[in-house]
Amino acid sequence: MPKLIIDNIPVEVTQGKTVLEAAKSVGITIPHFCWHPALGKAGACRVCAVKMVDGPVKGIQMSCMLEAQDGMVVSTTDAEAMAMRKQVIEWLMINHPHDCPVCDEGGECQLQDYTIAGGHGLRRYTGKKRTHVNQYLGPHIEHEMNRCIQCYRCVRFYQEFAGGTDFGVMGSAGRIYYGRVADGPLESPFAGNLVDICPTGVFTDKTARFRARYWDYDMAPSVCPHCSLGCNTVPAARYRELLKVIARQNDAVNGWFLCDKGRFTNSAVNAPERPRVPLIDGRQVAWEEALAALLLRIREIGTEYGAESLAIVGSSGLSMEAASLLHLLHEKTGAGSLCYFVDAGEAQQSATVTACLNEQASASMADIQAADLIALVECDLLQDGPMMALAVRQAWRRGAKISLVEDAAGTVAQNDNGLNSTDKLPFEVERVASLIDIPFADAAHPVIIFGGGDKMSEVMAEAGKTGAKLACLLGGPNSFGAALLAKEYGAISLAEAVADKKVRAVVSVEADIPPELLPKLVVVATLDWRNTETVKAAHIVLPTTAWVEMDGTYINNEGRAQRFKKVMQPGLPIKGLNPSLHPPREHTPLVPGGQSRPAWEILVDIVHRLGSEEDIQLFAGQWQRLRDLDATGNGLLLTDIERGIK
Amino acid sequence: MKLVPMRRMGTRCNVIMEQPLFQHNKPGRCVTFAEYRDEGGFAALQKALKELSPKQVEQAVSDSGLRGRGGAGFPTGRKWSFVPRDLPGPRWLICNCDEMEPGTYKDRVLLEANPYSLLEGIVLASYAIGVRHAFIFIRRGYETATANLQRGITECLAAGLLGENILGSGFSCTIDVHSSAGRYICGEETALMNALEGKRANPRAKPPFPAVKGLWGGPTVVNNAESLANVPGIISKGPAWFKALARTPEAAGMKLFCISGHVVNRSCFELPLGMELGEIIEGPCGGMRPGSRFKACLPGGASTPYFSAEHWQVPMDFDPVAKAGSRLGTGGIVIFDQDTCLVAATLNLVRFYARESCGWCTPCREGLPYVVHVLETIEAGKGSREHIAILQDHIKLLNYAFCALAPGAMGPVQGLLNNFMDELEEHIDKQRCPFKARE
Amino acid sequence: MIDNELKITLEQRVAAAVTPREAAVEVMKELQHHYGWLTDEALHEAANLLGLSPLQVEELATFYEMIYRRPVGRRVVHVCDSISCWAMGGETLLEQLAGRLGIGVGETTSDGMFTLLPCCCLGNCGQSPTMLVGDNLYGGLTLEKALDILQREREGIETK
Repeated sequence: MPKLIIDNIPVEVTQGKTVLEAAKSVGITIPHFCWHPALGKAGACRVCAVKMVDGPVKGIQMSCMLEAQDGMVVSTTDAEAMAMRKQVIEWLMINHPHDCPVCDEGGECQLQDYTIAGGHGLRRYTGKKRTHVNQYLGPHIEHEMNRCIQCYRCVRFYQEFAGGTDFGVMGSAGRIYYGRVADGPLESPFAGNLVDICPTGVFTDKTARFRARYWDYDMAPSVCPHCSLGCNTVPAARYRELLKVIARQNDAVNGWFLCDKGRFTNSAVNAPERPRVPLIDGRQVAWEEALAALLLRIREIGTEYGAESLAIVGSSGLSMEAASLLHLLHEKTGAGSLCYFVDAGEAQQSATVTACLNEQASASMADIQAADLIALVECDLLQDGPMMALAVRQAWRRGAKISLVEDAAGTVAQNDNGLNSTDKLPFEVERVASLIDIPFADAAHPVIIFGGGDKMSEVMAEAGKTGAKLACLLGGPNSFGAALLAKEYGAISLAEAVADKKVRAVVSVEADIPPELLPKLVVVATLDWRNTETVKAAHIVLPTTAWVEMDGTYINNEGRAQRFKKVMQPGLPIKGLNPSLHPPREHTPLVPGGQSRPAWEILVDIVHRLGSEEDIQLFAGQWQRLRDLDATGNGLLLTDIERGIK
Repeated sequence: MKLVPMRRMGTRCNVIMEQPLFQHNKPGRCVTFAEYRDEGGFAALQKALKELSPKQVEQAVSDSGLRGRGGAGFPTGRKWSFVPRDLPGPRWLICNCDEMEPGTYKDRVLLEANPYSLLEGIVLASYAIGVRHAFIFIRRGYETATANLQRGITECLAAGLLGENILGSGFSCTIDVHSSAGRYICGEETALMNALEGKRANPRAKPPFPAVKGLWGGPTVVNNAESLANVPGIISKGPAWFKALARTPEAAGMKLFCISGHVVNRSCFELPLGMELGEIIEGPCGGMRPGSRFKACLPGGASTPYFSAEHWQVPMDFDPVAKAGSRLGTGGIVIFDQDTCLVAATLNLVRFYARESCGWCTPCREGLPYVVHVLETIEAGKGSREHIAILQDHIKLLNYAFCALAPGAMGPVQGLLNNFMDELEEHIDKQRCPFKARE
Repeated sequence: MIDNELKITLEQRVAAAVTPREAAVEVMKELQHHYGWLTDEALHEAANLLGLSPLQVEELATFYEMIYRRPVGRRVVHVCDSISCWAMGGETLLEQLAGRLGIGVGETTSDGMFTLLPCCCLGNCGQSPTMLVGDNLYGGLTLEKALDILQREREGIETK
């Protein structure tokens, strides 16, 4: 552990850390553009100059390039170091457009911050500015090359970190250009990170273009709901409209990045057709009326078919808060079935995984990055957990061997484009016929990644034998939690319940009843925030809040419980309000379309109306630890007891 | 190829000089393989492979005092000694023939007349370092030299002087010629390795140094063509002989000086290191051209601070030139007469570097065009005192660029400020270039 | 499209390289020789030969001074604008040559014969000013001499 002195402060850091990181650890921020924790050093921007006063290296040095060593004495306030940093800003501002007032990066721009911080206010350079032609990079990312400060972060992320090959750096000297050979959408499923990683406004999020300033955003720590990995995010909203999603650092899960699926597929939150008002047979009603009707219908079902013909159906997308109350509804209605999953396969897979995946065996994404041998079994990473593919790539870049176990059917499912997506994996794989062909014994940190399927027992046996850690891809953001609850309450999937001819009617809580089942069932009520087929079929619709409109919890694929916080008020985006209703003639203290309620709150309400007197508390009993979960930490890895594993 | 009669070699140079590199040259054509061999070529290779261990070859080069001829002047033998011999995997040798420093053309002259000394030198160096695969990285535009090298490689392979089991010694070595496509930065040794690997030719961070982690991550030596071409002479005639070729006791060997600018004989001369600047100009160069008086010169290529008339007696060797405030560099001496505007000359030089920057780091990519802009403004008669301060800032701060290109580019600017400040100030005070006729 | 013979030659060159990328500059130069400039088609062919993406070839192609990604004339005339040539009047030579060819610097003559470009030091400083026409280096130039040379180059191409 090298010990050094920075600005008279003694610092001790782990071996291999740079002087820049050492300074950061004691709260001294040395300006930097090209250095990035995930990408490491480049030495390109030269803005992190410090003076090495004493020790093994002397003079002005770039703190990002210099490994911290014993005996170093560093000054960040040395006059020449400051002159250099100031000069770098002047150099970068020679060609940077003064378009901050109309630049979407304004307010969250590193170049803007350092320009202000360094006091560069007067332009000495009187020549012309260099200009570039921008490219169309697809529907999500805006390209504004004139703002570029050539820090090489984008290309280092895109090609080196993420393995993309269609975006890069061209030209030389002052003609450096970051882009594609020709206009066209960026191909990498991780392209959206360019927006986050660019220290200025070359790449901005088109979904938020010209909509708000950084300081206007409603933001809160959140968790991505689009797959089971639980990547950490910061959704940014304004005027009740979700504008963009930013990756939030969590070294145990997603690191610094986010996949494009997680970043760019959130338009449903703002969708005009989203249910926002309680409905009875399509008629807008007040909550009171809707809930009364629900109770009546449930009773009618009981009279008509018998209470046991009713199923309470949740899903793997439902927050742990709501999911953990479903059994109360089941009890109070006397429903015959309680289902946490619709699909039998998903239920089966989640059940097996949670039953086997103990705390020790469970591989986090950080474990995957650190692995030296990774086996892929029956998984389609880019489809079911893109960020895990990025984690595997990091291991592969460090020299890990990646083996793909082929099965007779041709390895993996076809993806949406009808292409076998292993062709696009950002790492090289060795194809093997079976798990036993993989030399686990030679590896220090082996990991098996399993997508779910009939090989579970074989995978588990092999993992147990070899000491390999295990990562499984599940269906939804709370599959793990749903599976634990299903086990606790002896639930079966809706598909199985229907097959047994037990079910005639359902109450669906953010579940998607498959279209082929809908004609066979009476959908008594649907609690949802999306305009699904199930919502359309339901007699009663109770609008719930989306994950960005409430606090909640998901348990990810490794059994890590993570809290997400309310980002924005539910309600019609101001942009979507009907202008013919201006000025408003109906006076109400409510936000237009703001009647949505968190699913768990509605469930509590229904349960009370069904006659329960008890004070219902969230996360009672064995879930107590989840009550005070900190949304900004690494979450809570469930213990074996919490997992129900003895 | 122009050969300079010996009598022109300067007043103090009465003895016939030995010219290890030019000795085989034939007027107007390239020496043939047979001629080179018959005149004693490849004797060093035979001797080394039969009688000397690799260590002894390295030692001889160290003892000779040979310093790198590419510009930095690092002792060649010492460079070889840094290569770890115990790492697994191949080691590499690269001959740097990406000669693109303005004012420098020695490698072209050398190789258009004789590719064999270099090829022999490469095999000797490979033997010393334990390299089985060497590369010659040659610039675009040197098509004749490239053809000569390729022909020479074929001939050497046929004669068993290259390839498997050279001269029955058990030592094997191949040489590949990599012909580049034109970019000055490829001559920087770490950028060169990226270029050779087929990557963008940005310099790499040091450490790790190429000797430990270079081409494809293996230990790598990068030597200038002229340095390597001198190795056969050192091996066949001995380090003491080589060292004594120089004019001064501190210097070692002969050096190819390429002359351009306002002198009578603009040519490449093989001269003893340590000859005085004035001696070279008045001797082999035949003095200034009619009507011209010496005003200044770049003593070692485009990146070296100007010498003025007061440097007339500086011995042209690495340390004395450095002591006088400049660098021997590549030995490309560009000579300017009294009618040359050194602001304009400096502008030309910095423009070159601004254009040839790889674009990796901010100081070089943005700082050099800034300096160009400032010099343009001064040359256009719109300069102010503040511009001098900006130039001074850049001289200091461009030292903190990623590689040596930007600091090198500021060499002439520094020379301008150090030796010709009055000329610069005249531009500013008169608000016009004094060398341009009044409009 | 390149013919099979050239394709096989280039494939062999790539196969002989330490890594495919090592052959990238050579493959680009050969394709440029074939097409006259590195066309978009050539870029994709190079990418296929080298196992790179077209963008990755473009990253290299645009780095080098003498890989042309725009159409050029039958011969590219590179006039050196570095210091030794500048000292001997190279700057005026380029301007005058442009004037006599009736084109601007960076343009191609209307007959498609010559593209005029300034370039980095050609290593012919002893015989400055100097220019590179195709692969041929010429020194000791005056405007008249340069025009003569271009005339001879033109005749050489036409008689081929």
